[in-house]
Amino acid sequence: METQETPMLELRDIYKNFGDVEVLKGISARIKKGELLTFVGPSGCGKTTLLRIVAGFATPTSGKVILDGEDIGSLPPNMRDTKMVFQSYALFPHMNVRKNIGFGLKLQKWPKDKIDTRVEKLLSLVHMEGLGERAIDRISGGQQQRVALARALALEPKVLLLDEPLSNLDANLRVVMREEIRNIQERIGVTTIFVTHDQYEAMSISDRLLVLHDGVIQQIGSPMGIYEKPANEFIAGFVGYVNFLQGIIDTLDEESHTLVVSTEYGKLELNYEQKDIKMGDEVLLVIRPETLTLSPSHGTEQQNTFHGTVESHMYAGNLAKYTINVEDREMVVDQYNPKDSEHFKKNDKIKVIIPRSVHMLKIGEASEQ
Amino acid sequence: MAEAVMESIYDRGFLYKLRAFFGKRLINIFAGGLFTLLAIFLLYPITAVLIKSFWGEDGFTSEYYVEFFSYNFYYWSLLNTLILGTSVMVILLVIGFCFAYLTTRGPLWSRKTLKIIALLPLAAPPYIFAISLITLFGRNGLINNLFNLNFNIYSWTGVIAAQCLAFLPLSFMMIENVLNSLNPSLEETASDMGASQYRIIRSITIPLAAPGLLKAALLVFVMTIAEFGNPAILGGRTPFLAPDTYLMITGEGDFNMASVLSVILITPCVIIFILHNYVLKGKGYTTIVGKPTAVEYKEMIPGIKIPFMIITIAVGVMVFLSFGVILLGAFVKIVGVDHTFVIDHILNTQANVAIWNSIKISLASGLFGAIVGTLLAYVIMRGKFPGKRVMEMIALSGFALPGTVIGVGYIMAFNRYPFLLTGTIWIIILNCVFRFVAVGVEAGISKLHQISIEIEEASADLGADFLTIFFKIILPIMFSAFVAGFIYTFMTTMMSLSSVIFLVTPGFDLASVYIYLTAQLGELGLASATTVKMIAIVVLCLAILKIIAKKTGLDISKKQGA
Repeated sequence: METQETPMLELRDIYKNFGDVEVLKGISARIKKGELLTFVGPSGCGKTTLLRIVAGFATPTSGKVILDGEDIGSLPPNMRDTKMVFQSYALFPHMNVRKNIGFGLKLQKWPKDKIDTRVEKLLSLVHMEGLGERAIDRISGGQQQRVALARALALEPKVLLLDEPLSNLDANLRVVMREEIRNIQERIGVTTIFVTHDQYEAMSISDRLLVLHDGVIQQIGSPMGIYEKPANEFIAGFVGYVNFLQGIIDTLDEESHTLVVSTEYGKLELNYEQKDIKMGDEVLLVIRPETLTLSPSHGTEQQNTFHGTVESHMYAGNLAKYTINVEDREMVVDQYNPKDSEHFKKNDKIKVIIPRSVHMLKIGEASEQ
Repeated sequence: MAEAVMESIYDRGFLYKLRAFFGKRLINIFAGGLFTLLAIFLLYPITAVLIKSFWGEDGFTSEYYVEFFSYNFYYWSLLNTLILGTSVMVILLVIGFCFAYLTTRGPLWSRKTLKIIALLPLAAPPYIFAISLITLFGRNGLINNLFNLNFNIYSWTGVIAAQCLAFLPLSFMMIENVLNSLNPSLEETASDMGASQYRIIRSITIPLAAPGLLKAALLVFVMTIAEFGNPAILGGRTPFLAPDTYLMITGEGDFNMASVLSVILITPCVIIFILHNYVLKGKGYTTIVGKPTAVEYKEMIPGIKIPFMIITIAVGVMVFLSFGVILLGAFVKIVGVDHTFVIDHILNTQANVAIWNSIKISLASGLFGAIVGTLLAYVIMRGKFPGKRVMEMIALSGFALPGTVIGVGYIMAFNRYPFLLTGTIWIIILNCVFRFVAVGVEAGISKLHQISIEIEEASADLGADFLTIFFKIILPIMFSAFVAGFIYTFMTTMMSLSSVIFLVTPGFDLASVYIYLTAQLGELGLASATTVKMIAIVVLCLAILKIIAKKTGLDISKKQGA
């Protein structure tokens, strides 16, 4: 969309039915060379099916998969230039590390010495030098993950496919491996599709995210774009907590880039940033907890404030999480660096300050892109 | 480097296309072949029996069934069989429960010993107990002579006792499995609330174990009524279905009546097989997944421990005595009469030829059984074709069908074109392959359950076609299942009597048939000596299976049949 260059992989209007169930309903996307794109969405959204269609393990009911300009829809997996890292790693239990990595090369009838050099290189790429002779059940989960990655990279695929590769690792290792995978991917510049249901994982590893829900692409965009400018209510709620607030555009001043929204708790004066918003539109304000500020109720009166009482608070070290009751409605406020901020107790009367820059969703409009 | 890769991936010539075409369909081609084999060697003989039971000289008739139910000689054979099955089932439910309760909740020092005792009969063919009971309680039996008793072992008591000893392991293993899978905290909670141990067993343990106990009981019932050796040797004048079927053919050559008896024998087996695999499957209150938690049960109160111990020790003594007299009988002239050491029984040439024949036959059926079993398991697990469930059911049914029935089916089905096999050793081998293939199939299936389908997808992803995946990935990984299937089939073929007795030709003896015939003739020394050799071979096989189970987690030793 953004660029004219031919994409490395293009999905064109892909539909997939399992019996009567429509799992994918017209998926189209282009993946640029060298990019890491993540398919993310709640379980059952069709992301794994989409990945398996790319790999050739599933056949789309209709639609095309175009790899580097060639329609590969009719090719079986073993003839496709895409390589996959499986969720279970799927390492061959009867082969050692070296044989696992070299398996594809051997099938391609590479001479033995060339396989050896290549495997050596890959072992050092994934930081497993000297572990080539180990049996698969004699290495840790993280190392198995590295072997699976090396094995997929051995054949220099045009597109690398990663199917929830981190889901079998414990929380700490998951972060380490996530960074490592990103690192290796950037170093060798391989075009990559990453599948996960974990939105934080998706945000932190990707160039772009493709958010799937109910078999439909909800939004494609950079992590920042998705978080700050979600296309719809689903996206907004999917990538982090959000306080939704309904309102109507009261006044709109293009000169000063200002608009006023009237909500059930009063009027808010906000920046006019989205050109498609018009006078009289009903909108949903997407207010992230960390953009809100708390201040004592007795201080000087400020613009864009709601009055409320502290209902509960939770201290978590790097942030304090407050639940504020504003006219019988709960708002969540995250106060980062709580050490240097003012503390509030349960039942304290306080003000919640809304920032001027707030993303708005138009209500009653199709949310698809 | 990259170019070399791409070139071969995109080199899609005619041959490659041909390979891709067959590669995709190979599993279906295999499936078709296996289905044909199952149809010829399992379905066809059984169908032949069914047809023969309705087919007289003038075509379709039900006269043979009418005959069956008009003469008390026939229908008493059915009633006796059902009485036998029910009594053994009830007795073994009690004994099996006592053993299993003690090995799971009893005093630690006794657990291992009791477990070994309960499993010991696995090391021998079921009809060993007929021989040892005759040696102990026969007209010149050791115990009869010792205590001057006049006890007649050729009776109901003898048959029931022999069957109970023979199927003790089956009952024990199934019940132990059930008791192990109950969540111990349920019993603890009841105890915490003040329930007595009697109360807990009665109102917690047994109700929770009930579905599992039912399954165990049904299996014992089927195995008991299908067993040929013990009732044939000890039954005396009491008619039972399995031996009567044999006599109907060898004595009177009446294939129609033999078929009727077979159909009547097979009916409860089929009903229970269906109940077992489709109705009761998955039923039960298994509340622990995986390994049982290390919970120490409260010490059993004497009021429970003592009766349980008495029962298990009495049974244990019988088991040891049975094995003991077989061993003794192999080396002395006549047990109970003349205890001079002789080596003649062991050195008997005819017996050794029979053992050697059995080994050859068993090796062949082990090998073919393992191949067919592994392929069937793979096709059933990974294939996508209609009739898969039916195929699985047929493959597994060989295990549940009484050997006598399949034996009758084989002589009728394979004595004419296009499958003229009677009189060859192949009829024996094929009979054993397809009767016992179920275990190989189950071993293969459970191994394949451990292998994620992603392994196969990963190899396809890396460029392997179907054949490569099968030979380089599947076969090596399934090798342990293959070996286990081989050993198991070898072992059961060695011990098998009920089916092969119809198929051996004069002059070609098998060890099992030889033991049966010598036991019938009262040549207990020869029977014992041959049994000892057979036990030695079986123990070796069991040891290998145990090693496989330890190394690969593939446990198929918990199956019994002969």
